[in-house]
Amino acid sequence: MNATTGGVPFSFSRLLIVAGNTFTEAVRQKLFNFLLLLAVGLVASAQFFREFNFGSSELKFISDFGLGAMVFFGSTLTIAATAQLFFSEIENRTALTILAKPIWRTEFIFGKFLGVFAVIGVFCALTTLLLAGLLCSRENSLMALHPDAFPNGRLIHYGDLMVMGVLQWLKFGVLAAITLLIASFSNTNLYTVVMSFFMLVICHLQYLAHDAYAQVASLPLRLLVRMLGYVFPNFQVFNLADQVAIGSGLDAGVVLRVAGYALVYIAVIGGLAVYSFRNREI
Amino acid sequence: MKFNLLALRPLRAGTVVLATLLIAGWAMRPLEDPAWQAVRAGQPALKLDSLQGALGQGVTVGLLGGFRAIAADFFWIKTNSVWSDYDLPATQTLIKLVTAIDPRPLYFWQNGARMIAYDMPNWRVAEAGGYDVVSTAMQQQIEHEQSAVAIKYLNEAFGYHPDSVQIYLEIGNVYLNRLKDLNSAAEYYHKAALRSDAPYFVARIYAELLRRQGRNAEAYDWLKKLYPTLPKPTPPGLVQPAKNQPSALEIEMAMAPVVLGRIREIEKELKIPEYQRFKP
Repeated sequence: MNATTGGVPFSFSRLLIVAGNTFTEAVRQKLFNFLLLLAVGLVASAQFFREFNFGSSELKFISDFGLGAMVFFGSTLTIAATAQLFFSEIENRTALTILAKPIWRTEFIFGKFLGVFAVIGVFCALTTLLLAGLLCSRENSLMALHPDAFPNGRLIHYGDLMVMGVLQWLKFGVLAAITLLIASFSNTNLYTVVMSFFMLVICHLQYLAHDAYAQVASLPLRLLVRMLGYVFPNFQVFNLADQVAIGSGLDAGVVLRVAGYALVYIAVIGGLAVYSFRNREI
Repeated sequence: MKFNLLALRPLRAGTVVLATLLIAGWAMRPLEDPAWQAVRAGQPALKLDSLQGALGQGVTVGLLGGFRAIAADFFWIKTNSVWSDYDLPATQTLIKLVTAIDPRPLYFWQNGARMIAYDMPNWRVAEAGGYDVVSTAMQQQIEHEQSAVAIKYLNEAFGYHPDSVQIYLEIGNVYLNRLKDLNSAAEYYHKAALRSDAPYFVARIYAELLRRQGRNAEAYDWLKKLYPTLPKPTPPGLVQPAKNQPSALEIEMAMAPVVLGRIREIEKELKIPEYQRFKP
């Protein structure tokens, strides 16, 4: 416990106040302009596919581009928003004011995390609903135009699409926790953003190192790579979007495992961010 | 010089972070491994050696990082663009690139093969001076060459879609519509018709292909076996459980009366005596 807390017990209500402030601050940072831009981009891309007369496969293109946009912009938003919201407190010295009060650093860090997580939640909910709306509207039109292309009814599993939105939200949650961990010891916003992007790439590609070194004869090298594989979360496990886009259903067991994986990582990395932040001089 | 222990604090913190992540990663293997295996099972391995020459490093990293479907979509749009310019080498290269990036959607295989088998022969003939100038023998040679490329390409699809009805039909159609090879077309339609997920029309076309080759007896046997399997409307007065009731669309697509009509036609052609005729 921080010395400044003066023995006050941990409080969820204080944590939620920090989270609420973080969320309000994020909303003021032109987040909704960003979302609007993304929505316009999605709608425009859906119109663009009609030029090619792809038939029922147009839905696959809309779904791929929509989910791709969610992953790309969501990752960017998560890293930028987390770093910005954390460092704005440090740079504006408001962190000093807040932490001078009886508030745990755990409450501060997890409050920041929950605020960012809520912002990303809004982003994921809006983009998923927009994408589902677009797909549903286009699927209805295509079903009326080419009924023979839909012998078994609808091609898109809308429930799975919603689940995908939730899984992406959880993945962004892990990414936000990683960004907070880096921010907790970093001195600048820029360093945090750059390092977080590197981490994002590493977490996406760590499986390649696993594969490449699985057959390496040298035991120490193999052990080293295996250990590195344990250190970085595997973001590829969240990559279930392709299965939704090609009309395959999601396996509930896999979804639950992936969700559990993300939640455990959020707790562990968030805890480490608290540990690191407690050692930091502000 | 006095050793400052505080200087070791970042090192200690870093070690704690790394050690915790290591233990957490190890402890979460039971959660991660089955999920990762399931994700991986749905993603055929990327053949990077065949792609790296055609793609930049950025795209390759994107593919490996999970943007595989979207990259294939981008290249498919590019394929459509060069196809509309009648650019044969670029179209053929991009068609193969798209399925190398993402071989899962059947749409890419089917439409790529159609471009190769049906459009490219026309482009080649047009480039050689047009149908009035190019000899019939040369036209046929071009059609054979392009059909061979398309069939080889479709055969590669079986590596990712084993026993796919759509791929069998696509190959059958190339034989039927481009090469006018009824025997080979019938062979592929037969393979497709044997699949439980084949649409009803496949079995009917197979029988017609046999008839067009004069193999009426085979067609007759095939249709006699087919007819009892087709969904038909429940006769008036017969009560069937709702779950066994075929849908109106299914009954319409199965075209049982048409199949019976063809059976009667063949019986006439084969002069089968009344008492030996098929009794539905």
